[in-house]
Amino acid sequence: MFKILRDLLRYNIEFTIGFVLTLAIFLFALAHFWAPLPAEAIYLLPPDMPPSAQYWLGTTSRGQDVLWQMSAAIWNTMLFGLTVTILSRLLAVAVGMLSGYLGGKWDQILMTINDTMIALPNIPILLLVYFVMRDSMSWPVLAATAALLGWNYDARLIRSVTLSLRNREFTRHAVFAGMSVPQILMRQHLPYVMPVIFFTAMNNLIWAIGLEVTLSVLGFSDINRPTIGGMIYWANQHQAIIAGIWWWIAFPIIAIVLLFLGLFLLAISVNEYIDPRSRLSRMGA
Amino acid sequence: MNADVLKVEGLKAYYQMNYFGVRREVRAVDDVSLTIRRNEIYGIAGESSSGKSSLIKTIAGAITPPLRVVDGSVKFDFDGRTLDVYAEPQAMKGARWQNLSYIMQGSMNVLNPVRKVKHAFHDFAFKHMGLSERDFWAKVEQHLQRIGLDPRVLESYPHQLSGGMRQRLTIALATVCEPDFIIADEPTTALDVLVQQDVLALIKDVQRRMGASIIFVTHDMTVHAAIADRIGIVYAGRLVEEGPTLDVFRRPQHPYTAHLIGSLPRIGDSRKRSALPGKPPNLADPPSGCRFHPRCPLAIDKCKTDNPALLPRQTGRVACWRAGEVEAA
Repeated sequence: MFKILRDLLRYNIEFTIGFVLTLAIFLFALAHFWAPLPAEAIYLLPPDMPPSAQYWLGTTSRGQDVLWQMSAAIWNTMLFGLTVTILSRLLAVAVGMLSGYLGGKWDQILMTINDTMIALPNIPILLLVYFVMRDSMSWPVLAATAALLGWNYDARLIRSVTLSLRNREFTRHAVFAGMSVPQILMRQHLPYVMPVIFFTAMNNLIWAIGLEVTLSVLGFSDINRPTIGGMIYWANQHQAIIAGIWWWIAFPIIAIVLLFLGLFLLAISVNEYIDPRSRLSRMGA
Repeated sequence: MNADVLKVEGLKAYYQMNYFGVRREVRAVDDVSLTIRRNEIYGIAGESSSGKSSLIKTIAGAITPPLRVVDGSVKFDFDGRTLDVYAEPQAMKGARWQNLSYIMQGSMNVLNPVRKVKHAFHDFAFKHMGLSERDFWAKVEQHLQRIGLDPRVLESYPHQLSGGMRQRLTIALATVCEPDFIIADEPTTALDVLVQQDVLALIKDVQRRMGASIIFVTHDMTVHAAIADRIGIVYAGRLVEEGPTLDVFRRPQHPYTAHLIGSLPRIGDSRKRSALPGKPPNLADPPSGCRFHPRCPLAIDKCKTDNPALLPRQTGRVACWRAGEVEAA
């Protein structure tokens, strides 16, 4: 594992940049565990201070340090994004592979559900869930709801891959040799589907973070929990741009853009490790 | 020991389709009976779409709808243990790979392109061998060496190997459990002649050493001449002639076989080879009587109405009303 990482860092510039960016942002987010003040506390510092030696990224109109707010916000946003991604990947892989491999009635039932989900608009449903749940709306509930909405396109994609794998010689050979359906799916097909899962996972992560930001900016989430969208929400509430408190909005946006960029570069370069053929062509073999 | 390992009786397997209320039935395997002895290589020859692959798939019990067995039976005999492929599918499951292995058509692609070769061996063969992990790999490596492959190939991906190596690997994969019976569907078709020769020699060598029986299919008559002990000629889903390879090549008794053999180029002979008029019949709507009669130069009225049975004649069996009058074309 360490060797793989070393070689990827050495030969793959995209991976190096993505790795450094993501690692830096991760360490920055991790730092909030050692923050001098609790992230939810307000009006403990002088408000509206511009970036200076004492407050590196300035303070908000709510008397919080932008640096430490952002650290906690990125952590929470990433946690939300990863939860959505993992839950929705599990759904997408299970539905896609079963539907593609089993075919027939199973395929019809699963794909009818899938296509129905595709037709449903996401934001109105999430708003509906928010209005129904109101005060009991917590981030895990929101993440579960988003995961339930975020798997369907990828399930279709994975189904199409499995559909073609089902008719390959190695599958027929495996069936003949007496491998069971779960064995064939896990051992023969999953490695083939893995790059698709990784790539859609990155798309899904970016989509989930974007969704969280959208909902938080509009105030449809737990607004007291610091997130990137939540920071922008409060900045808008205090009319930060009009008041000239640009650092309250600019730094969270820069952070999220860097996070997206790092994740994206990681995604495309990790694929090269997973798919042995493109790995070799890069090495010039 | 010349016991029968495989006995196929009156086997009929049809592709049955039902699209938009229109029923279509393609009779790919129609009333085929044959037996294969221990330690024998049996070749099945015939042109494209004559039902060779369907026949062999049906024998292997590896058929999926729309291909269905309509009638007849396929019985294997492994060391006195009789297995009926279509009556006892559960017992067959245990026998596969251990007693019966299958080299599939396009077997260059049998290896999963995104997994190392060793995983294929583990997945397909490990549970059938009943060995410990350590003994299993020792056995696999020994087997690979006998087949002329460096055991290091286990650590490679299929795309890192040449076509010939991959073909050898699939043969190694099919023979590592030392099965009693090997089914091979066009095992050498995608290879060039030199590699083909190598692979054929390998198959023959492995077969002799293990005392297994092989049934294999190819349209390439030279391959049959090279390794088959007996060959069966298939035309339009039916077995039309069967016999020891040398006899079939020297004295074909069915007019179709005579043409097939007559069409082969020979060194020093530059005569133009005549083609058979017409096309192979549509198996969804085969001709009445003998299926070869529309193209047969010897056809008589009887051929149009009555289907000749496959009857013993000299050293083999032949299905033709005028078998005695056929001469090598």
